[in-house]
Amino acid sequence: MVPVGQLGAPKTANYDIDVTLDPGARTITGSELITWHNPGVIAAYSIRLHLYWNAFRNTRSTYLQQRHLVGDNPFADADADAFGYSNVTKLIRLNDDGTETDLMKADFRAISPDDQNKDDRTLWAVSLKDAVQPGGTMRLRVEWTGKFPKNFDRTGQIGNYYFVSQWFPKLGVFEAGWTAHQFWANSEFFADFGDYDVRMTVPHGWVLGATGVEQSRTDPSTALGASAPKMTTFRYTQEGVHDFAWTTSPDFIEHRQQFTLPGRPAVNIRLLIQPEHDYLANRHFAGAVAALKYYGEWYGAYPYPTLTIVDPPYQSESGGMEYPTIFTAGTRWLSPRYSNDPEYVVLHEAGHQFWYGMVANNEVEFAWLDEGINEYSDSHVQDVALQPNYLVQRFFGDFIPWQYRDIPLKRATDTNWMNTYRRNPDRDSISVPTANLWPGTHQNMSYHKTALMLHTLERMYTWEVMQRVMSLYFARFKFKHPQPDDFFNTLNEVTGKDHKWFIEQVYQSSNTFDYSIDRLTSEAIETRGFAEGTEFKENTEKNMFRTTVVVRRLQAGQFPVDVLVTFSNGEQAREKWDGRGRWAVFTFDKPVKAVSAQVDPERVLLLDTYYTNNSKTTEPANKAAATKWSLRWMVWLQDLLMTSAFLV
Amino acid sequence: MKVIDAFIDGLMRIKRAPWLGIGLWLTTFLIALPLAGLLLDQIQASLGASLAAREAASGVNYDWWNEFLAQTSGVGATFVPAIIGFAAVIKNLSTFADVGAVPTVILGAVVTNMVVSLFLIGGVIDRLARDRAVGASAFFSACGTFVGRFLRLGVIAAAVYWALFGPYHRWLFDDVYKALTAEVTVERTAFFIRVGLYIAFAIPLLFFNMLFDYAKIRAVVEDRRSMIGAIAASWRFIRRQPIAAWALYAINALLFLVVIGFYYLAAPGGSANLSAFAIGQLYIVLRVIVRLQFAASQTALFQGRLAHAGYVARPIPKWPDSPAAEAIGPR
Repeated sequence: MVPVGQLGAPKTANYDIDVTLDPGARTITGSELITWHNPGVIAAYSIRLHLYWNAFRNTRSTYLQQRHLVGDNPFADADADAFGYSNVTKLIRLNDDGTETDLMKADFRAISPDDQNKDDRTLWAVSLKDAVQPGGTMRLRVEWTGKFPKNFDRTGQIGNYYFVSQWFPKLGVFEAGWTAHQFWANSEFFADFGDYDVRMTVPHGWVLGATGVEQSRTDPSTALGASAPKMTTFRYTQEGVHDFAWTTSPDFIEHRQQFTLPGRPAVNIRLLIQPEHDYLANRHFAGAVAALKYYGEWYGAYPYPTLTIVDPPYQSESGGMEYPTIFTAGTRWLSPRYSNDPEYVVLHEAGHQFWYGMVANNEVEFAWLDEGINEYSDSHVQDVALQPNYLVQRFFGDFIPWQYRDIPLKRATDTNWMNTYRRNPDRDSISVPTANLWPGTHQNMSYHKTALMLHTLERMYTWEVMQRVMSLYFARFKFKHPQPDDFFNTLNEVTGKDHKWFIEQVYQSSNTFDYSIDRLTSEAIETRGFAEGTEFKENTEKNMFRTTVVVRRLQAGQFPVDVLVTFSNGEQAREKWDGRGRWAVFTFDKPVKAVSAQVDPERVLLLDTYYTNNSKTTEPANKAAATKWSLRWMVWLQDLLMTSAFLV
Repeated sequence: MKVIDAFIDGLMRIKRAPWLGIGLWLTTFLIALPLAGLLLDQIQASLGASLAAREAASGVNYDWWNEFLAQTSGVGATFVPAIIGFAAVIKNLSTFADVGAVPTVILGAVVTNMVVSLFLIGGVIDRLARDRAVGASAFFSACGTFVGRFLRLGVIAAAVYWALFGPYHRWLFDDVYKALTAEVTVERTAFFIRVGLYIAFAIPLLFFNMLFDYAKIRAVVEDRRSMIGAIAASWRFIRRQPIAAWALYAINALLFLVVIGFYYLAAPGGSANLSAFAIGQLYIVLRVIVRLQFAASQTALFQGRLAHAGYVARPIPKWPDSPAAEAIGPR
């Protein structure tokens, strides 16, 4: 049996690590003892080790090839020194009888099960002479060296800043066999829970932040003599996590704040912030507190004693990334007060402590389960706790912010990223394994469409129902690895309904949704005809008007919608349409004329890409609006003409 | 003549020539109007009979706006939130400083405005230099007299500005900026590096702008036909009194900033309707005055230092009698 810790997390993969940073060479040298308990129901005859930094070893890695697909070639002009790598130098199995087996002499090799890319060295395998039986234990000693890539996705170095993530040889997940993938540009990570005890040696005087709780700080250089470079070793431990990241820099300013709420464990929030962002420290804390408060209230309490926010420096390329109990949250030097920068990214990454940190789905295959659920959740928190939040755009080399106090960003569309989703709604579907999503639309599916999908469910059932779905799903799969079906089964269970149609239309398909009111007329009810050589016309129902509403489904996506007609006396009539046909006609006979008709009047279907066409009125204001905005635009053009006339 | 006197004299000359300001404002208005009409049609079609139009008419309907932007092209694609209030100014200055892309249809309007300005500028300087009413016929006669010369000057200016906005700008902001900021970890530092490069870009730009300004003034006041000669004469003028020339330029630039500042304070938000348009037009009129002030004060300075107020070598043109006069006049 796999032992379980105090938090309730299984101790499947446990790491005891020593690592030393050499800033001059931009390398780390480490050794680790992995204690692994087989959680599966079958024996393990081999192991899988991730060496993520090899994604930056050459330009033919799967990671960089995937980036190339969308024209992104980050190492095109880089010198040799910019590349990074991870090399295992020793891999020894510590047998139960006290003997050691050198696995480097076995078939330790890079494998590429996902794409057969021989140039990819991010996933390694080695056969075990003696299988690890279900519930059995294996101990491995690994020594390795790693070279930081220059500041790159989520990790690397720039100046005196090091963000050290995906840095140690790490086991895959063993379920019914190994679930271990190469490192893809789209995808993030997947690992088992365990205990971490990590000792990090860095230059003396540098500030360090890491997953977990600091246990000690020692100065090993004193033992090595006065001539040795002054170094400090920090020891951090944490149980019940599935990864470990750390950062160090002499430039961080440190702030601390304690999060307390009755009935919840206290959390020491530590902020390591860049000096130029120091004035934003309270806003970083506001984002983190909002996440701990609302996610804790809605889903379940944050159980760890610490949470470390790392504010990375400019151009660090590690602006927003989550790791257990530590995350990066980048911001800008100039950040207008009534915008959610930095609050949003802090909130989002802190939210990942729940969706990813505790509910630990496979991010390589189903990133939407954490990214999308988290986006949906943080959008809701922004709505209730971080207002006002106005649109900001930047000018002059993207430095100078301008805030539009006329444009508050709304949850339904803006912070659910509808405007981004609308650009490419049909290039993929959420159900495609994340690593296989087109790199340019991965975010659109995993983040944006999922957030819109979940918010649509909320509008179908109310937030209270949705909160029950999410909290039950959270409780069931905390410290586990849920699959998409686990989420949908929970949804079905709580709502008491089968969502097969919803899953087909929204989750599995790449269909776009767009309903419109095609026609709205209100006319006196007359009969006109021709009989026995005479044309006749009669008002068949005195003082009655027939209102005709034609509703259309303009895209392939099908969704049941309401049709609401408002009449001149204020009366309203509502009809339901299953939304399956391409069009439907609704007629209403009333003593008054209609003034407007709306399809999906409450905007339940947030995935409807064009909502302007969802209504029609008999008293349109489009002329007034067009006149107003074209005149406003004209002033802008005149200003441009005056500015360019400077040259004449 | 002192710089401050030239500045004040310039303002007085503009005051005494109100039709110049009205004419230049009308030019921008008339060039912008047809495109605004196109946009009006696009917005009207986009909103149709939708209920969304009500919010768009009374305030900012950002949801509709984004839908509109996702479906539109041409003029419509330039209808972005940055057209609201003072953001319009920021956006245009940023586009100018960063050599941002301008859509073809807008570029057409910009070029048209430049061509019209090139035609009018001879008459404008002539009127400001004479500092007395000359009548429409004499004004347009001066425009016609100088347009050919200024086209030649424009070719030289265009080559210089192309070099500045093209290779020089790219070198500064693509090569130098990237090299200087590659290892920068403090955004503020990167910003100040960029500001330094803006200054490095502005210095030759302003110098050449002033050089071409005085070249035009000398061409008009001294009735010069050679534009190379006019540029050389302009250079001699600036070289002999650099402090006065630069100081006057700086004061005029300050006036520009004051006008910008006024609009920053006065520009209405997205809810305003006709009042926003009226304030916007007032701002454009002030921009026109600033533009005229550059020409007027520089003309005053030149006349004050090298000629005399109101002096122009070229006589006021007089139109000949109409050929019809032969038919009705004495034989």
